[in-house]
Amino acid sequence: MNKETASVPVLEMQNVEKHFGGVHAIDNFSVKIEHGRIHGLIGPNGAGKTTIFNNITGIYAPDSGKIFFLGKDITGSSPHKVAQLGIGRTFQNIRLFSNLSVMDNVIIASNMDATYNMPQAIFHTAKYKEREKHLNDKAMNLLEIVGLQDKAAERANSLPYGHQRKLEIARAMALEPKLLLLDEPAAGMNADESLELVDFVRQIRDRFDITILMIEHHMDVVTNLCDYCTVLNFGKTIAVGTPAEVKSDPEVIRAYLGGNE
Amino acid sequence: MIQVFNAINNAFCNFFGINSYIQGVVVLMCVNIIAVLGMSVLTGFTRLFSFGNAGFMSIGAYAVAILTVRYHVNFLLAIVLGSAFAGLVAYLLGSITLKLHGDYFLITCLGFGECVRVLFNYTKKLTGGSAGFPGIPNYSNMLFAVICAVLAFFIAWRFIHSKYGRNLTSVRENELAAEAVGIDAFRFKRMSFTFSAIYAGWAGALYGGYLMYIVPSSFNLAKSCELITTTVIGGLGSLTGSLLGAIIVTLLPEIFRGLANYRMLLYGIAVVLIIMFKPSGLYGYKEFSLKRFIANIKKLFGGKKPAAGKEAE
Amino acid sequence: MLLQQIITGISIGGIYALLATGYSLIYSLLDFSNWSHGEFAMVGAYVAIVFSNILGTPFVIAAVMGVLGGACISFLSERVVYRRIRSTGGPNMFLMIGAMGMSNVFQQAANLIFTGQYRSYSFKLPVSTIEVGGAYIGVLDLISLGITAVILVVLIYLINKTKFGLNVRAIACNQKAARVLGIRVDQSIATVFLLAGSLAGAAGILYGMKYNVFPTMGNVGLKAFIASVIGGLGSVPGAIVGAVLLGVLETLVSAYISSSLRDFFSFALLIVLLLVKPSGLFGVDVQEKA
Repeated sequence: MNKETASVPVLEMQNVEKHFGGVHAIDNFSVKIEHGRIHGLIGPNGAGKTTIFNNITGIYAPDSGKIFFLGKDITGSSPHKVAQLGIGRTFQNIRLFSNLSVMDNVIIASNMDATYNMPQAIFHTAKYKEREKHLNDKAMNLLEIVGLQDKAAERANSLPYGHQRKLEIARAMALEPKLLLLDEPAAGMNADESLELVDFVRQIRDRFDITILMIEHHMDVVTNLCDYCTVLNFGKTIAVGTPAEVKSDPEVIRAYLGGNE
Repeated sequence: MIQVFNAINNAFCNFFGINSYIQGVVVLMCVNIIAVLGMSVLTGFTRLFSFGNAGFMSIGAYAVAILTVRYHVNFLLAIVLGSAFAGLVAYLLGSITLKLHGDYFLITCLGFGECVRVLFNYTKKLTGGSAGFPGIPNYSNMLFAVICAVLAFFIAWRFIHSKYGRNLTSVRENELAAEAVGIDAFRFKRMSFTFSAIYAGWAGALYGGYLMYIVPSSFNLAKSCELITTTVIGGLGSLTGSLLGAIIVTLLPEIFRGLANYRMLLYGIAVVLIIMFKPSGLYGYKEFSLKRFIANIKKLFGGKKPAAGKEAE
Repeated sequence: MLLQQIITGISIGGIYALLATGYSLIYSLLDFSNWSHGEFAMVGAYVAIVFSNILGTPFVIAAVMGVLGGACISFLSERVVYRRIRSTGGPNMFLMIGAMGMSNVFQQAANLIFTGQYRSYSFKLPVSTIEVGGAYIGVLDLISLGITAVILVVLIYLINKTKFGLNVRAIACNQKAARVLGIRVDQSIATVFLLAGSLAGAAGILYGMKYNVFPTMGNVGLKAFIASVIGGLGSVPGAIVGAVLLGVLETLVSAYISSSLRDFFSFALLIVLLLVKPSGLFGVDVQEKA
């Protein structure tokens, strides 16, 4: 990364609001994430964390406020445009292309690398073959990184749960994103698996030089992994800071003890 | 040109002793194959449902009929233009209706198919109305139909096994996830819809050239349903399955003449049973592979001939 | 003249409404357009034919049997076919394909059993007209309208004022939550099919009285589909409004423009409406949750 881009925050959200009916799903939310950071988004169920992801990725358009990605205004862009700009994501309830092979899941995500056109595809020209080989190599490479290279030919929905989570991350990485959004990557994992995940996420950040925003419930994961975090409750930001600062914040403690957790 | 073409076909058929009845069955089979392949791409690979494909067939058939009879356009060019026109109509229709969700899209397709039929009935000067459009040149001989079907299968196969097919399938599997990896779901749905309409138009054009006479009522809702039925029997998400489905659905009533009256009843029962017990149909989500077929045969015979498999590869 | 057409239109719309409400109820529970719904009406109409023309029972008995016939076939379809398809957990499109197959089966079976002949009920139909303010209105239309109105009022009462209706609305809102709260979901779904089937049976008999009974008469289900889409899929009041609008539009187009363009106008209206209101008049646009 050169200095110019480093000075612009990777993601900046300014006073974003989203209502559903009368409910403030997110209320005046702002955040600034610098390059290379791992930023945590925590809070009890229904605090609006996933809604923030959905606003960034264009599934919802915010009612007011602005969202900038590398200085570019992406407020209200459609999901595929946001993805093409370089924001990859995973979903809270895993969304794989279930009936397709593990390999195809990743290849599909690198569709932007498939720069051939229809006649080239139909006549299998040199360009088509070269691009398809590139897609295959790239996908295999990503599968090796997440440790799924032996499962490439299996159907995505036949994988055990933990592998499905990893495949989803590999798929998001195929986009070559500059920002990766992880929605509860440690959900359903035990303590050992969580620790492994912490290492894995950090490795990915270092290896691909990306920025990560993640929603997480496991406080130990957040403490180990995140540089900063934002705590939400009922759509409102109640604390911002390093995990250590946030953990000792009285309002956070109240929200967690009085909330659903 | 048509005369030369038909002469070649006749010579070919005489040489192999193929009578005109068989020729007719083969032509109809090829028509079905092309239309069903289009439906397969749409329903099997994109999970969009169209009750309007008979409408696109009729657009292709009438466009070619009008071009060849009224404007004496060469039939090959006319078929290309007619199919392209069906595709264009689908592209425009899809541009406005594919934004609608699920059944709302479905009803607009159905409505479109019915509207086309009513319009062809109504515009008597252009189409001859319900009395039909006579005098279409007889270009759909067996050889030509088979060439068309092979070409259609080849193109569909390459289309599906490229990024286009993969992207369509990703929209079928999970639209939100597809969008999240940068796939414009709307654009690919429209592409699939257009592709399927081009194939329907192509099939319609061949149909007209075979019967030399078309009426709007051949392209009714029942025809659209039959196309979906065939696709389901062949297997959703499999081109070889659709090919097989189209062949079976055309041949069965010819082989079992006595069953002709029960044909549609049996198809209906078949569809219900397939959806209940094996929704992937004959070859769902899988393509027929020679390698696997040979491997299975070998298994059957206790793996006696290991060399045969390698040669086939 | 205009008044006469409008009343005829409302009367036809009423028949569509009987089908469309059942259709909408099923849609609201299962997100599934029951393509074979029109065939339930056809079965009802034929059962009534068997009782009135072959067994020679009085009209009332034939009609009750027809309604029961529609209810039975609808209930059986759910128990035997749709429940099984739902249990496989496949996409909703599979239900639709299954329904398309069922529709085919019923139509072909009727064709084999009763032949394609057009049949009419052997009892005497009131074909006279009465004069209201210079317009001649068919007594049959008025009777049909009256019966429809009574049935629909009862239906709306059932949905809005009874425990059964509350359960149905709860399932429509959130099937999983309803199940957790102890509502017997499968039983309620089966009851809705029973109810929708009997409405369809009634519609079939009324339709058969007006236009004869024939194997493909189930295609009237298509009108119910259009009507409920106009009203907004899943909305019962919407289905009634949509059905009446459609009935009146069809009658007016047939009377003043051309009867051969009738369906063209219906579909054109539908497509234009959906472009303006993508979820119909009373429908709610539900966004998929990520």
